Amino acid sequence: MTARASVSPRVGVVIPALNEAASIGSVICTLRSRYHYPVVVVDDNSEDDTATIALKAGAQVLPLAARLGAWGATQTGIRYLLQQGYDVVVTLDGDGQHEPGSLHLLLEPVINGATDVAIGTCPERMSRLRLIAWMMMKTTSGLRLEDITSGFRVYNQRAMIELADARATLLDYQDVGVLLRLQSAGLRLLDIPVQMRVRSEGASRVFHSWLVVGRYLLQTLILGLSKRLLGAPTGSKS
Amino acid sequence: MIFWISAVVGLLVAATILFLIRRDKLHVRHGVFWLLLAFAFAGLGFAPTLVDWLARVLGVGYPPVLAIVAIIAVLVIKILMMDIDQAHQEVQLQRLIQRVAMLEGSLQQRTRIDQQRAQSEHMRVNNDDNHSAP
Repeated sequence: MTARASVSPRVGVVIPALNEAASIGSVICTLRSRYHYPVVVVDDNSEDDTATIALKAGAQVLPLAARLGAWGATQTGIRYLLQQGYDVVVTLDGDGQHEPGSLHLLLEPVINGATDVAIGTCPERMSRLRLIAWMMMKTTSGLRLEDITSGFRVYNQRAMIELADARATLLDYQDVGVLLRLQSAGLRLLDIPVQMRVRSEGASRVFHSWLVVGRYLLQTLILGLSKRLLGAPTGSKS
Repeated sequence: MIFWISAVVGLLVAATILFLIRRDKLHVRHGVFWLLLAFAFAGLGFAPTLVDWLARVLGVGYPPVLAIVAIIAVLVIKILMMDIDQAHQEVQLQRLIQRVAMLEGSLQQRTRIDQQRAQSEHMRVNNDDNHSAP
């Protein structure tokens, strides 16, 4: 962390959003009522009023000209906040699953320097099938984290720089590929149990069709196998 | 007869490549590979004994198979290179889309700050006018 960050780190929030008009407003309002951090919504070329609602709710909106997927949108937000001189970035979903009330639990270890990345975990939200998929992904990738697909995360500046790199642009999802990249850069990852709500509106961007799930699983398993570290696995639980 | 067909096909492909480059439908960088391949194809037709000799050296019983396998291998490598190139272009395109969004965000923020500044300036001028009025 930088010298300025050790005094008072600049924290920004990134929300990747695709057709989240029904929930994005309340997510931003809840965040803004609890914290004074600027909220950046990256609109992944939505077909509804996500961008307008986010703007009205007081967020800054980065509109993508073409759909890049959840990770492409998140990376845009990270690149933007890095460019603006922020030290810490929080990422969370725009569908209301993540409780802004738990944010301080994730922020604290990152700001204290106890870890480089904090991941909000909630394995209870998963069905048995998803847990099996996770187990396969963890086995092939060597990751020992509890919740590898959670989008509720806090990254410090080192992690932001790592993820803003062009080589991270080729990733399709914000899970195994991103975590392995951080791990291979020697960054510390920490699991922190948090409460998550059931998705209020819309469907998962991955788990909405068997074909998409199959492709996702196959891609992730190959990625995990090809990029796994040969040494001891990293990642710890709080 | 097959060797003549091979020679004609090779020359036809070469002519098509040159035509596509001339019409700006194909980048010359990609054209070089296809031209070389077409000439190699034509060369096999004009010098069939070359394949027979090479097949004998490598111990291949049926010489045309050697030519087919070699061409398939070259095409597989080419397709792989095209995928690598496509991945590179995809990254560039995504970075560009991200950059446009970031610039738009910065512009929005700058406009908002300018509007707020203009508004506060307007209020200050109004207040000054009210105070200076008799």
